[in-house]
Amino acid sequence: MKAKSTLLALGASALIALASTASAADWKPDGPLTIQIGFGAGGSTDTMGRVLAKSMEDATGWSIVVENKPGGGGVAMFTGLSQRPANGKTIGMGVSIPVLVQLVNRADQLPFTVDSFDYLGTVAKAELALVASKDAPFDDLESMVAYAKQEGSLPVATMAPPQVLMMDQTKAKTGAEFSLVNADGGAEVLKLILGGQVLAGFASGEHFQYLEAGTMKVIAGANQSRLSYAPDSKTFIESGIEAYVDPVFFLAMRGGTDPEAVAAISAAMDEAIKAPEFAKIVQNAVQGDPINMGREGTKKMMVDGLANAKVLFAK
Amino acid sequence: MVDLTTILAGFADAFTLYNLTFVLLGVVLGQFVGAVPGIGPIMAMAIAIPFTFGLDTLPAIAFLVGVNKGGLVGGAVPAILMNTPGTPDAAATALDGHPLAKQGKPLKATKMALFSSVTGDTFSDIVLITVSAPLAILALRMGPIEIVALMIFAFSILTGLIGNSLTKGIIAAALGLLVACIGQDPENYTPRLIFGYWDLFDGLPLPSVAIGMLAISEMLRRMSIAHGGKMKSAIVDMDTGNPDDKRVTFAEYWSCRYTLVRGATIGTILGALPGIGSTAAAFMSYAMAKGASKDPASFGKGNLHGVAASESANSAVVGANLIPLLTLGIPGSVGAALIISAFMIHGIQPGPLLFEQQGRLVYGLFGAMIMANFVNLWVGQIGLRFWVKVVSAPESIIFASALLLCIVGVSMATSGLFGVAIMLIFAVIGYVMSSFGYSLVIFIIAFFLGPRFEKSIAQSLALTNGDLTLMLKSPVAVALLVMSVLSFFWFMRKNAQEN
Repeated sequence: MKAKSTLLALGASALIALASTASAADWKPDGPLTIQIGFGAGGSTDTMGRVLAKSMEDATGWSIVVENKPGGGGVAMFTGLSQRPANGKTIGMGVSIPVLVQLVNRADQLPFTVDSFDYLGTVAKAELALVASKDAPFDDLESMVAYAKQEGSLPVATMAPPQVLMMDQTKAKTGAEFSLVNADGGAEVLKLILGGQVLAGFASGEHFQYLEAGTMKVIAGANQSRLSYAPDSKTFIESGIEAYVDPVFFLAMRGGTDPEAVAAISAAMDEAIKAPEFAKIVQNAVQGDPINMGREGTKKMMVDGLANAKVLFAK
Repeated sequence: MVDLTTILAGFADAFTLYNLTFVLLGVVLGQFVGAVPGIGPIMAMAIAIPFTFGLDTLPAIAFLVGVNKGGLVGGAVPAILMNTPGTPDAAATALDGHPLAKQGKPLKATKMALFSSVTGDTFSDIVLITVSAPLAILALRMGPIEIVALMIFAFSILTGLIGNSLTKGIIAAALGLLVACIGQDPENYTPRLIFGYWDLFDGLPLPSVAIGMLAISEMLRRMSIAHGGKMKSAIVDMDTGNPDDKRVTFAEYWSCRYTLVRGATIGTILGALPGIGSTAAAFMSYAMAKGASKDPASFGKGNLHGVAASESANSAVVGANLIPLLTLGIPGSVGAALIISAFMIHGIQPGPLLFEQQGRLVYGLFGAMIMANFVNLWVGQIGLRFWVKVVSAPESIIFASALLLCIVGVSMATSGLFGVAIMLIFAVIGYVMSSFGYSLVIFIIAFFLGPRFEKSIAQSLALTNGDLTLMLKSPVAVALLVMSVLSFFWFMRKNAQEN
């Protein structure tokens, strides 16, 4: 009897599963889809987004238009997305951390919250490192702090507010002084390090060839866990600074979109991310493998991330 | 160092019919999108990148380089023929190019632009191929402090363009800088002057401001003159009957040699420094050519030197932008960033090891660039005739279609109607400003250089802990500041003499 009911239940759930995949596969957009990228043309988000759209197009036969909507690290794009009708036609692609930081700092000015969106999945995780020229007179965060104290102040290049906050935490914790120079992206950070204007700086991939060539070294990892490509370097947390950032590239739609559309687009996106050609591009952009946390996983990542950002970046 | 066999193998890879086809396609597309007001080569490249995925790396990059280079030549076309530059760097070309076209010499003006563009481009390509590594190291030494001094120097050279009212020039520059302040501040990332519009968080979109101010406001001006539906062609007197007005003689080209070399040098130096851009180069070269001329009063009235100065400089920037890209992996412009993106799609990480690991590909790319320059010249010769024919249609048709293209182009470039609204607002501002004799060109350059100027000042303040007198410790900065003061007074005297 029990076995029978179990079997029945299994059968039923299998049927439901079948039905849901069938309906997801049946759903088709009645016009072109748009992927809005929250950053300008030519960056790693843009590159991954455009190739993802192309792979999804090739696999499904849908027509997908890619647009760049830069502004505030994706905030401008997500603001626009939250104001559009939930017609299943517009998808936003952005990075978690800049959005979460703005949600912590300027929640009252933003027309959306983490609950305003239906999350489709993630593409990859960015690894953020504090790097320095190989000739720098320090090898890790402790010796860098010691050197900063000895010199009075140490110039460090940052490229986004979370990194400034991490350095401020370091300052508060250790008493060392840093002159923080804000750069336009990782490439400018490298330029400042190579030109000798700063002694260390944050980079999220632009520095890989310099590590390979041996002209730069990793001082600390800025993520929660150690960097996959530099497992011997300690993180900020391990060095006693309770701060980290885990930027994740994700896709979302306006909340309240037809669940069938969300399921179908999310499935198509998952297929495209699994393709080996896409893995190659992700590898080049972030030096890691594609990671898709799925719909629920992405939502959880954003909700937990917001709680974490509130602790880390509370004023 | 890369050995000779790799270099030769690279060039051999490049010079195939297959690659030539892609270069040709790229140049044709680039010249077309460059010449159509509103759409630019940058947007064409961004759209084309995923489609190059299926190609081999070299033809893919060759195609994109073709688009970029073709776009430079194309960009001069609407500036000269209709006085409606689609990008700020072509605005300098319009200053003398359009008066020439109005004198019935549209082909002469566009051909001079083509020859100057290819000359400047080839010059910077040669510099890139031969001495890029040492030049890149030198460029690295230009830190934020030196960039601030360089910007001040650029602004001081602008006085050469101010014309008869210093007050109006300063007001135009100040307004440009004020508008450049819209968006997040570079130090604390606080939104400024955005009035709740998050679309403004990264500042006013450049295509909207540039096209609104430079192209649409000119169309408004023409409309106001042509009241009552006068149907004349966009350029008067298409045929003067004089064959010399349709071509550029070698003697004319040769007489511009110093202007061309000066322009190409300025373009190459500024191009090697990431983030300064071709607009500053074009205007610095233009102002210096005017300053060096024995007859500065003829500038702005159809002097070939004006076209040569502007086009040689803005085209030289593009080749030179690849200097920091290929040697250090640092893109000097959006166009260069898109080429990095194409490299990444094909599994290549740009950086200091590029020459070592991908030497053959890099020299293949150089080969493709050389091909693109020749193809540009050839396609340009044919294309220019076509464009001159197109604008011989009545003004009422030309400007209506151009307006439509500008709206479509800007809505594509800024992804929506918000950018179009901004464009229309700036068209009105531009119309009012030019009606009262304020220089739009000075406004645009100030707007364009403003964010970089502010960022560099913020960086310098951080590096010197707020003590800007430490700037005087940098010999390069001191030299640039002294030159700024000298050029300011020199240009002011020159302007006074002219009046």
